[in-house]
Amino acid sequence: MLAYSILAGLVFGLYFSLVGLGLNLVFGVMRIVNLAHGDFLMLGAFAAYWLFNLFGINPLAAAIVAFVFFAILGIPLYYAVVPRLLKAKDPEMLSIILFFGLSQMIEALATIAFGPGERSIPGKVLGSGPVGIFGQSLPSAWIVSGVASGVAVLFVYLYLYRTRLGYLTRAVMVHREEATATGIDVHRVSAIAFGIGLALAAIAGVFAPFMLGSVTPAIGVDINITSFAVIVIGSLGNPLGTVLGGIVYGISLAFMQTYLSSWANLLPYLLLIGILLVRPSGLLGRQVRSA
Amino acid sequence: MSRRFVFGFVAAVFVVANAAVRAADAPSEIKIGTLYASSGAFAAISMPVHSGLKLWIDQKNAEGGLFVKPAGKKIPIKLVAYDDQSNTATAATLYNQLITQDKVDILVSDSGSVLTSVAVPIARDHKMLLIDQTGTGANFFTKDNPYIVLISDPVSSIWPKYVADFLTKDGPQLGIKRVAIIYSTNDFTGTQATAVRGFIKDSGAPVEIVYDNGVPTNTSSYTVLLNNIQAANPDAVVALGYPNNDISFLRNVQDGGIKFKWLFSIYAGLETEHLLKTVGAKGLEYVYTYVPSSEIEYKSEFGMSLQEFRDAWNKKYGEGTVEFGFNSVAGYTTGLVLEKALATTESLDQLELRKVIFGLSGKLKTIDGTFELDETGAQVGEITPLGQIVPDGKDGIKFVTIYPHEVATGKPVYPAP
Repeated sequence: MLAYSILAGLVFGLYFSLVGLGLNLVFGVMRIVNLAHGDFLMLGAFAAYWLFNLFGINPLAAAIVAFVFFAILGIPLYYAVVPRLLKAKDPEMLSIILFFGLSQMIEALATIAFGPGERSIPGKVLGSGPVGIFGQSLPSAWIVSGVASGVAVLFVYLYLYRTRLGYLTRAVMVHREEATATGIDVHRVSAIAFGIGLALAAIAGVFAPFMLGSVTPAIGVDINITSFAVIVIGSLGNPLGTVLGGIVYGISLAFMQTYLSSWANLLPYLLLIGILLVRPSGLLGRQVRSA
Repeated sequence: MSRRFVFGFVAAVFVVANAAVRAADAPSEIKIGTLYASSGAFAAISMPVHSGLKLWIDQKNAEGGLFVKPAGKKIPIKLVAYDDQSNTATAATLYNQLITQDKVDILVSDSGSVLTSVAVPIARDHKMLLIDQTGTGANFFTKDNPYIVLISDPVSSIWPKYVADFLTKDGPQLGIKRVAIIYSTNDFTGTQATAVRGFIKDSGAPVEIVYDNGVPTNTSSYTVLLNNIQAANPDAVVALGYPNNDISFLRNVQDGGIKFKWLFSIYAGLETEHLLKTVGAKGLEYVYTYVPSSEIEYKSEFGMSLQEFRDAWNKKYGEGTVEFGFNSVAGYTTGLVLEKALATTESLDQLELRKVIFGLSGKLKTIDGTFELDETGAQVGEITPLGQIVPDGKDGIKFVTIYPHEVATGKPVYPAP
């Protein structure tokens, strides 16, 4: 049971790295809290559901479609909302209120459009039967979702550390005003990062029916809570710390389910409190400041 | 003028005057207050119940209203319904609002034990009879609280009796000796787990519980839990959860290629159409479940037959987002009980209403089965038999009733292939 918990927790954690990645990227670049992050994930899930049911599009292809669509959607949304928000005295607090409102609107509209019930995509679409790894067997849909999450994380890493736009993005993350002073088009960089953040949420949503069993228009709140735990564990503002945070969360959840299952829903809060007491900057907090 | 004539005249005047006074006192409408969850964790069970109740209300209003005995005539029904969004704190506020601001005549709870739990003390404090539709948590019903009646589902402490009876009576002959129980920790499934555990232990049968764990109701991943259950090597697995739990559980079983010899799930039967869309027919094959009132044709002596109700549902809601099923029958049954009660009650006093609803116990037979209450107001009729979902040979599925034997339509397939 121990080996299985570690392995399953690792794969689940990798997925939750992807879930939290977009939220952390947006916070890191803009210092705003996108409380509608979970709702964009939900929209990605419903996009995959409808693409599969109406056109038979495989979720792997749907992930690419969702990425492009939500990245494009994010740019005008950024210009409509964020620059004005950043002019406020306390943009972080205001962003919480604003995106909470957006979250409620998205959930309400999705409920009207799709109904309140659970939706899912058959697991066999991502491969039939379990896959054996290190003597343990995991659903193939989990493995595919885990690998896809790994690819998305790698994409973000390459974007941040191997592209010119990524360098500029990191510069904005370190100090927005200094980046502006050096001539960087901060809004352009931020808009692209915002789009990528939304797109990552949407990709995570595409794989949600496989990792979470089903999706409803109301999953956003739970997703947000878990995402916050993941990014705070890793380090708020450090997208790559999210990977570590996700894995810590995934393995911890697997252990909780094995040894203390009734209390498993307390895990995000316990981890949040624990990390804030012991290491408030997160496990990779120091690296953020020296980036 | 004969004395007989005078007596008749006086009596006629009295009757007419009395009727006039009653008509003057009669409300112009009967206010039914309720909550529903259009979103959130309980939307999938709340909306069918609410839609079933609304169907009944619309039907009665189309017929000119509901006959209310104290008024001596038909009165239109006014539905006052608020959306609690599956949130218990919101629900508590809205239940209070229904009683104190809207001053409803009849208070109907939202569906399910979680959203009903907050209504129980509020209704009691305000001395309002809570028409509990499907909140089956056993701790809602106590001898010192006359302000609650459970209408449409059996109380959770007896609901799984046939499941446990099958496992302890027929199980050992089939080779079932080790049972695993996994349940969501809420009033509904927590009580059912307690009941199954109790029935098995009290039976004295050679059946051992080898795994018994609760999980939070919002659990969405069962892969690790399933591995742990497998490690306990059970002959039978009883999974007790809400629809979101059952969907994730059954999908994880299917995706993980796991084969349990005997597997029970609540909502495979209660919301079959919904689970067919989310889990798929393959994932439901050979699963044991409650055979719901939407599958068994109970002889209805009041209200529509099952087919008539299904047709009315399809006509009203069509291919909408709310599925027909056990819960839609439950909402409609609530309406039928109210209809019968208001037609016989002497007043709209809450304890008088309770008295007439108790008077229906054992006598009212609807498409939900026989309505029967115990002394605390808990529903002890309408118990769903144990069935097994099997392939119908046409890429679909069908129900086979397994237990109790007197209503069985087939034999269990054990172990599941």
